[in-house]
Amino acid sequence: MAKRKGTMTDRERIEALLRREKPDRVPNWPAMAFGFCTLYYGGTIADAYSKPDVLLAAERKACQDFDWVFYPLMAFPASLSTEFGGDIKLPSGDFAQAPMVTRFAVETEEDVWNLKMPDVKTTGSAPMMMEFCKLSSQEWLDNEPFNVMSWMGGPFTCAAQICGIEKMSRWTIKKPEVAHRLLRLTVDYYIELAKYWKETFGTEGVLPFYGEPAAANQIISPKQFEQFAMPYIKEINEALLAMGYKHIFVHICGEHNLNLPYWAQIPFGDPGIVSIGHEVELATAAKYFPNDIIFGNLEPAIIQVRTPEEVYEATRKNIEDGKKIPQGYILSPGCELPPRAPVENVMAMTRAVNDFGWYE
Amino acid sequence: MATEERTKEILGELSKAVYEFEEDDAVKWAKIALDEGVDPFVATMDGLAAGMIKAGEAYNNKEYFVPELLMCADALYAGLDLLKPAIEASGREATVKGSIVLGVVEGDVHDIGKNLVKMMFEVAGWNVYDLGKDVPLDKFVEEQIRTNSEVVGLSALMTTSMLAMPEVIKRIRAKNPKVRIMIGGAPINPEVAEKYGADGYAKTASTAVDEAINLLKMLKEEELGK
Repeated sequence: MAKRKGTMTDRERIEALLRREKPDRVPNWPAMAFGFCTLYYGGTIADAYSKPDVLLAAERKACQDFDWVFYPLMAFPASLSTEFGGDIKLPSGDFAQAPMVTRFAVETEEDVWNLKMPDVKTTGSAPMMMEFCKLSSQEWLDNEPFNVMSWMGGPFTCAAQICGIEKMSRWTIKKPEVAHRLLRLTVDYYIELAKYWKETFGTEGVLPFYGEPAAANQIISPKQFEQFAMPYIKEINEALLAMGYKHIFVHICGEHNLNLPYWAQIPFGDPGIVSIGHEVELATAAKYFPNDIIFGNLEPAIIQVRTPEEVYEATRKNIEDGKKIPQGYILSPGCELPPRAPVENVMAMTRAVNDFGWYE
Repeated sequence: MATEERTKEILGELSKAVYEFEEDDAVKWAKIALDEGVDPFVATMDGLAAGMIKAGEAYNNKEYFVPELLMCADALYAGLDLLKPAIEASGREATVKGSIVLGVVEGDVHDIGKNLVKMMFEVAGWNVYDLGKDVPLDKFVEEQIRTNSEVVGLSALMTTSMLAMPEVIKRIRAKNPKVRIMIGGAPINPEVAEKYGADGYAKTASTAVDEAINLLKMLKEEELGK
C-alpha cells in the first residue's frame, strides 16, 4: 500500500492521546532504540552510551527514516552503578548490547550502611545525560511530543545495580533492612535528580521515563514486589507529579502479570504512558491501567529473527488488538528494539502501521 | 549407626532445611547425619538434593521465585560443605548422570538463570563445567572437547547476545556433531531454538535438567542404533 498521508504530525498524535482524544492513526514509537539508531547511523552501539551528540543525530535520522515518533532518549541500563562508585564497561564486539557492570559499588552489608548519597549533578551518567538533554532541548520538531527526557528510576532495578541482583535477591529475604536502605538511597537520588532536571528545563515538554526489569516475576514474587518495589516506585512518581511533571512514562519490563495489581496502585499522571513487554497482553494492561495510554508490545525477538512478512503480520495483529484500547495505544516493541534487528524488519513495522494503523 | 527410621528422619530434616532455606539447620543435620553414620552420599542425594528438587517444583508452580531458590541453594551448599569431604573420603564413586558445559554467551553478563540451572544439574548428579558469563564463542568448543561433555547449555538474556548462539552451535557441531546443545534465556523460545539449530530448549532452571536427560536418552538411542 502506498504511504498514506495523515492529518496529524506525530507530536499532534501524542498530544491528542494525552488529551484523551483519538489521533488519526496509531503512533509508531520504539522508545528504546539506542543501539539500533547508532548502528543505523553508521556508528557503534557504544556510541549510544557515550556520545550524546551522535545518539541525538542518530535518533533524529532513524525517526525520520522509519516514520517514528521522535523522543530523544539517552538511557543508561546500568544506572546507579557508577553513581554510587561501581565500574562499568561499554558494549563492544558483535554480541554486546548494553553497558555492563564490571564491579559493583557494594559487596557487603557494611558497604551498604556506609554508602553516601552522590552529587546528582556530577557523578555517574548524569553529566552525560544532562549534556544530551541540553542538546535535545534546543529543538522541538513536528514529530517530537517531548524534547527532554529524564531517567528517573526504577528503584528496585537500580538498587540491584549497586549491589548485584543476586545479593539484592538474598537481602530481600535474609536482610530486608539492607535492601530497604539501598532502595531509600535510590529513591532519594532520583527525587534529587528530578529537581535538578526541573531547575534546568522546567517540566513543560519533559517526560520522566524508567524501566523496572529486575522487579519482574522472572526474578521476584508479587509479595516481594509489593514490599520492595511498589512503595518506592509510588514515592518517586508522587514526588514527580507534585513537582509538576504531568505525565510519567514507565516501561514495565518483562513478566509482570502477577505484579499488575500493585502497579495499578501507582499514579503515572493524567494520563501516564505505560509500556509493557510481550509477556503481558495488551487487553490485560488496558484493564489494569484504565486511565493510562498503553504502549507496546511487539516481541523484540520476533523483530530480530523472523522474516519481514512475519514481522509485518505480527505488527498488524498488535495494531488490531491495540486499536481496541479505549484509553489510547501506541505501537512499540515490548522492550528495546534489538540493535541488530534487520532494517527490512523494522521497515515492515512501519509498513504495517501505514496499512492498518488508521482510525477510520 | 542410625536405624532405618532415624535415617528417614534425618533425610527429611535435611530436605526440609534446604526447602525452607534454613542454612544453620542444613549444617546441623548434615553433622548429625555424619555422626550417626548415615551414608553421606545418601544424605546428599536423598536429603539435601531432594529438598532442592522440591524447591525447583515450587519455582515452576510460582510459589518460589529467584530469591527463594538462591536461599535454598545457600542451605544446600552449606550442608554439602560437610558432606562432600565425607563422600570423597569414603572413596565412593558417585554415579554421574551426565556432563554438561554451561555458560552465558559472549556479550552478556546476566547469569542468574545460568547459575540456577547449574545448581539444578549439580543436584541431579551431573558434572557441570561452568564457564561463567560473557564467554567467548570458541571457549564453549574448547571446553566441550576438553571435558568430553555430552551436553552444552547456552544462556542469553539480550536479543543481541542471542545472535552468538547459532555461531557457537555451528562451531561445536563442526568439531563434534554428536554433542547435544540446549539453549535458554528470556528471548529464547522453542521456535528460536529450532531456528538456531539447537537440540533442546529450557524454559526454566528446573525443566533444564529434564530436557538434558531427554537429550542424553536420544544420544544413547542413536548410539545403540548404530
